[in-house]
Amino acid sequence: MNRQDLFELAGRNMRNARLRNALTTMGIAVGVASMVAMLSLGIGLQGFANHKLMKSGIFQTVFVTSRQDMRNMEENADAKAGEAPALNDDARNRIAALPGVEEVAPEMRAMSQVVYGDQTNFVLLAGLPWSARDEDAVETIKGNFFSSPGADEVLLQRDFAKKLETDPDAALGKTLTVRYAQRQSGDSGTSFSVERREKQFRIVGILDEQPFGGMRMISRARVFLPLQTAEAMNLMQNADAQQVIRSAPGERTYSMLTVRMKSAAYAEKVEDTVKKMDFSAYSYLDATKSMRRFFAVLDMFLGIFGSLALAVASLAIVNTLVMAVLERRREIGIMKALGASDADVQKLFFAEAATMGLVGGTLGVALGWIIGRVINFGTNLYLQRMKMPAENLWTVPLWLAAGAIVFALLVSVLAGIYPASRAAKLDPVRALRYE
Amino acid sequence: MNVASNPLDAGSNGNGERMSQESGAAIEAQGASRYYTMGETSVHAVEDVSFSIARGEFAALLGPSGSGKSTLLNLLAGLDRLSAGRVLVDGRDLSQMDSEALARHRRLTVGMVFQSFNLVPTMTLADNIELPLRFAETPRSGRRARVQELLSSVGLAHRAEHKPPELSGGEQQRAAIARALANRPAVLLADEPTGNLDSRNGQEVMSLLSELNRNMGVTVLMVTHDAALAARYARRSLHMADGRLLPSAEVQP
Repeated sequence: MNRQDLFELAGRNMRNARLRNALTTMGIAVGVASMVAMLSLGIGLQGFANHKLMKSGIFQTVFVTSRQDMRNMEENADAKAGEAPALNDDARNRIAALPGVEEVAPEMRAMSQVVYGDQTNFVLLAGLPWSARDEDAVETIKGNFFSSPGADEVLLQRDFAKKLETDPDAALGKTLTVRYAQRQSGDSGTSFSVERREKQFRIVGILDEQPFGGMRMISRARVFLPLQTAEAMNLMQNADAQQVIRSAPGERTYSMLTVRMKSAAYAEKVEDTVKKMDFSAYSYLDATKSMRRFFAVLDMFLGIFGSLALAVASLAIVNTLVMAVLERRREIGIMKALGASDADVQKLFFAEAATMGLVGGTLGVALGWIIGRVINFGTNLYLQRMKMPAENLWTVPLWLAAGAIVFALLVSVLAGIYPASRAAKLDPVRALRYE
Repeated sequence: MNVASNPLDAGSNGNGERMSQESGAAIEAQGASRYYTMGETSVHAVEDVSFSIARGEFAALLGPSGSGKSTLLNLLAGLDRLSAGRVLVDGRDLSQMDSEALARHRRLTVGMVFQSFNLVPTMTLADNIELPLRFAETPRSGRRARVQELLSSVGLAHRAEHKPPELSGGEQQRAAIARALANRPAVLLADEPTGNLDSRNGQEVMSLLSELNRNMGVTVLMVTHDAALAARYARRSLHMADGRLLPSAEVQP
């Protein structure tokens, strides 16, 4: 029997037991819906976490320190401290030239005096790299990010802005003066001098959140200026004082370089290369691996719990089809007497199971999607009430929708094996005698 | 009713495998036996039956209930399997066939007519008659026309879209005959075809079978316990009792 005839007959048989088949199909739909809803939660959460962490740039970032620095993260590092290379401009340029490196930003922060109107405050000032414009914290900025990498502009942390103005947003567009310590190169090459300087900046933005998810030292500053501007100001750094003790104070060194890659894929290679250059390097790459493992396990568990309903639904298919075999015993006998082979009869029952699986799977995906939307809506209402930004915690990607339908089809056909083989093995003589 | 027209023409289904045995027997049984095991006892439903029916013959298989005639008919139809012996239908040995080949035999070589009609009650007459054409994978284009031809030939063209419960017994049996002939079989096996009909409808059905045999040369083997019916329509009668075929001399007139 050809496929078209097979599905025509299957459709006719299913219409004859409309209620029973509809209920079984709904059972599959509910099973698939629960599976889709569970998995879409897992995928949504993973996407949410990935979005947050990837946006922070943490996984495409390698932190480089000199082994001369005792605070670096490797054990026994200071054993060879004397021989270790300095983290200077030469090192910075070499690292910047490595494949996949997008930006090498030195850590620049210094205590400074900020004068705003008649108020004077001592605060931590930090240089923010240009790449920070894609930061999550900048997404919720009030005002704007710096207009150019070397602009004389600052961003304020909201807490600090509150100190300056009752309505923090009122500070936007106003000017403040920064008094800071500037490093001046000494003539002898063995010393340098420090001078007090003043510079005026325009307040362009107010940050609600800490940049880089608060994961870097500079994140805790209260006033941010463009890194390029901070470098041009020659802000005196802690590392400068340490350098005096070491051999070459005339040379500019950095306490830490933050190396940002085009993508997280380069991080491991760059980290290795930097270590071979005899610097300390650290990345959060291992953390991503554990995170992925965690989500794989989470998805698996959510999938298993979600599939339980589908497993129950598959038993309903077996039941429905076994009932159909019993009810249609005589009809199966007639079909065999008219020349239907065992395979034809078997295929007919498989076609009925597959139809229920396909229809149930499709309905289930739609139902799962609707459940997800409703819960997403509810979650966002709650988040809104808690004054938190709306998030998309439920995602039904195309592969999940297609996969769920194929899975439902597969489960249904598997559930059809027993009834189909029972129907195929039916003795036509006995089946024809059945009233 | 016009059974002399081509639609019911038998033995030309073009399956391409039938042996060229124009002059040979349509049905030949050699020591055909069918045993059933019931607990520890073995029941001999058909035992050592040998006979031959020529092409184009109309034969009746007579005997009381439980004599084994329906079992023998099921063996010839390929619905049941022999325990011993051989059966050749249209030149092909059924004892050598696997289940797929037996299905093909039922599909193309024989047509079956039952006492209880065995039409699918939820299908229209047209759908019922189309069923064997679906199994034979007849192209869809010619299928509906063939169904209409068959229905016209048994005088049921106007009943095509009716379901069996809406028809009289005689009409249902005529539809069943049309269905049995859908794939142009060489042999028609009828199991008590008038058993569930009143005498007028029974006559009509028997006339139809007789005309099919006479005009188209389709071989008919009819099981009945009605000796008068057999005497009137069949050219030869075979008698069975206790699973065995009785010699002609033993038959009581």
